[in-house]
Amino acid sequence: MNKTLNRRDFIKIMNVTTTGVVIVASGITLTTFASVSEIPVTNKKRWGLLIDTNKLTETDIDGMVNACQQEQGWGAEIRSTASQKPGWIKKLKVKDKTTNKVSNLALMCQHCEEPPCVDVCPTNASMKREDGIVLVDKHLCIGCRYCMMACPYDARSFVHETLKNQKEHMPRGKGTVEACTMCVHRVDKGETPACVESVNSEAVIFGNLYDESSQINQTLRIVQSSQIRADLNLNTGVRYSGI
Amino acid sequence: MSNIRFEQIEGKSLGFYTLITGLGILILAALVSVYYVEHHGHFVTGMNNRIVWGMPHVFALFLIVAASGALNVASISSVFNKKLYKPLSRLSGLVALSLLAGGLMVLVLDLGRIDRLIVAMTEYNFKSIFAWNIILYNGFFVVVAIYLWMMFERRMNKFSHKVGLVAFSWRLILTTGTGSIFGFLVARQAYDAVIMAPMFIIMSFSFGLASFILILMASYKWTNRPLGNIIVNRLRNLLGVFVAAVMYFVAVYHLGNSYLAENTGIENFILFDGGIYTKLFWYGQIILGGIVPMILIYHPITREDRSMLGLSSVLIIIGGFVQLYVIIIGGQAYPMELFPGKDVLGDYGDIAQYFVSLPEIFLGIGGIALAIIIVTFLVKFLAFLPESLEDDLADSYHKR
Amino acid sequence: MKHFLVVFLSLLVSSVFAYIDEYANLGEQASSIKASGKVFHESPSIIRKMHPELLRHKRDKTLRKGIRTNNYSLKGCVSCHANKNKTNNQYYSVDKKGQFCSDCHKKVGVSFDCFSCHRTTLREGLL
Repeated sequence: MNKTLNRRDFIKIMNVTTTGVVIVASGITLTTFASVSEIPVTNKKRWGLLIDTNKLTETDIDGMVNACQQEQGWGAEIRSTASQKPGWIKKLKVKDKTTNKVSNLALMCQHCEEPPCVDVCPTNASMKREDGIVLVDKHLCIGCRYCMMACPYDARSFVHETLKNQKEHMPRGKGTVEACTMCVHRVDKGETPACVESVNSEAVIFGNLYDESSQINQTLRIVQSSQIRADLNLNTGVRYSGI
Repeated sequence: MSNIRFEQIEGKSLGFYTLITGLGILILAALVSVYYVEHHGHFVTGMNNRIVWGMPHVFALFLIVAASGALNVASISSVFNKKLYKPLSRLSGLVALSLLAGGLMVLVLDLGRIDRLIVAMTEYNFKSIFAWNIILYNGFFVVVAIYLWMMFERRMNKFSHKVGLVAFSWRLILTTGTGSIFGFLVARQAYDAVIMAPMFIIMSFSFGLASFILILMASYKWTNRPLGNIIVNRLRNLLGVFVAAVMYFVAVYHLGNSYLAENTGIENFILFDGGIYTKLFWYGQIILGGIVPMILIYHPITREDRSMLGLSSVLIIIGGFVQLYVIIIGGQAYPMELFPGKDVLGDYGDIAQYFVSLPEIFLGIGGIALAIIIVTFLVKFLAFLPESLEDDLADSYHKR
Repeated sequence: MKHFLVVFLSLLVSSVFAYIDEYANLGEQASSIKASGKVFHESPSIIRKMHPELLRHKRDKTLRKGIRTNNYSLKGCVSCHANKNKTNNQYYSVDKKGQFCSDCHKKVGVSFDCFSCHRTTLREGLL
């Protein structure tokens, strides 16, 4: 027992020193270490998306869904029925009742600031990172699906069958709940989400909502945008313009 | 207490063993279904990403709601000091415990990851109503078990009033918690209503008492013990009041909901054009589960007939299942109002389909069977049932 | 009493195993590292005993805090301890019978749940 405790302490010390070294080093060689951060994400950032439904074409949306499936490895479930298959990102056609204007939009997890799914989860498996990305900790998920009942956007899916050959960065398994991760594994490396990358136009913008110099922040200042179900006051990270 | 003699049932007859065997088979069928669903995944059930909670949840919530209601008979005796109910209070506690056990079995065995149940016991998110409910359910077992002990142990009888009060408060909070599982779901138009919690409480009174009456009458009939009219009539009247109260709450709930423009869609769906859900609501919940039992309970011709009381209890239970089905499944089937003032075109804007599968039904029935088998065994091994509930006995008890 | 005995014996067995140094099936990369005389895990016995805690600690850091370093990552374990099927040039799943993870877990009678969600094979070109 003694030995293990020592080992633990040793690891702790090692971690502290390496973090210290990295902080100092990153000051000197700024970008070299940027790809793999050893520093926890903070609430100084808030990741978000702005989707312009006027610019977004139907082909764009199909491309986004496709890119998401490729990146995260969902959609190839063979046994589930259509309504049992996961849908991390959905293509929606919306018609205004008075003007009959039809808009196409992509609906995914809205990464709320006050996520109902996190509130209702009995085991803390639904959680929000400091930088605003809402995730499912599948190590803790017991598959009760209360989060799916609570989500106003129908953003979450339940895995109805055994899966194999998952993506390395995206563990997924039968009996747990999953949803859009805003490609957190890419974001942590400084990249943009796969769906954003798949769209050629400026119809989908990804960035730090808090950063006044970011494109998303700047655009949100000038265009009129909305949140879906803004009446619930969830302050979503995904914003839409043109609807 | 001296007048009432509690005694175990003999439990050696062919009927007893047939009952146990039958229930055992049902429980076994439930376990096989669970293994089947867990092995393959939930794709073998009718549940999907839009009908997230299905038949198992209808059964589980019915049993949980009925469980807290079944405790009422004991509460009336020890909290409100109605001596007439005293001889029934042990059975009341027992029925409450066993119904809860059955409900929890169904709820837990439908989880996606049953193997991680321990996580639910160790990781708590105190903002989650589900997490509170885990505490409330476990606490209910403890509180009612202590309550039963106070009733059984002569030395402890003097505490039964106080513990009864705790148990009564606990059951009110528990049902509030169960109702709030739905009441606090702001996302869905069918659920987002504070009245859900009191409505669930009143539903528990009615479903719980109906289950209790059935178990009481069956056990006295099958053991050939006398069961007098005074007690039966009391329970009958109480049941009538509870059924009326449920109907009142349902009316207020739907009227209140219809008043909000944002909810007219879901209200129209349930009340008028929801196909199967509308039919279930009117024919199942309102007529079969409400009006017919009321008539049977109050009409002079059927009032005195004990088998009609049994029939009304059965109808109330069926109506209760239908009511929960309409609330749970119907509430999910209607699409969420994502874009006020706009229509969602294509599949996604349609009513969600749900075709219940056999394993789900087996699991649910297994929960009921578990509840009954627990009662059956425990009345054999412990003295839950008074030897006689004859009128003169009950009457003298009542008058004292 | 019997239960205690079972617990005690399995603890005893597992702690003995933690010090045994021989395994038939270490995995490709791991074997070659060992053969080359390089040291990857300073103390194999500690890794054997502590890897669940280390992995759990790492998983929380990665998932909840976004720290995606390679230290004690499950991906790292799989990438070294996987074997290739020589005939079809495909990797075996590490949780398949006779492979590194399952082999040892079976020996000490401890179930593990990583691979109900995590990928069981190394993706080509990772290292």
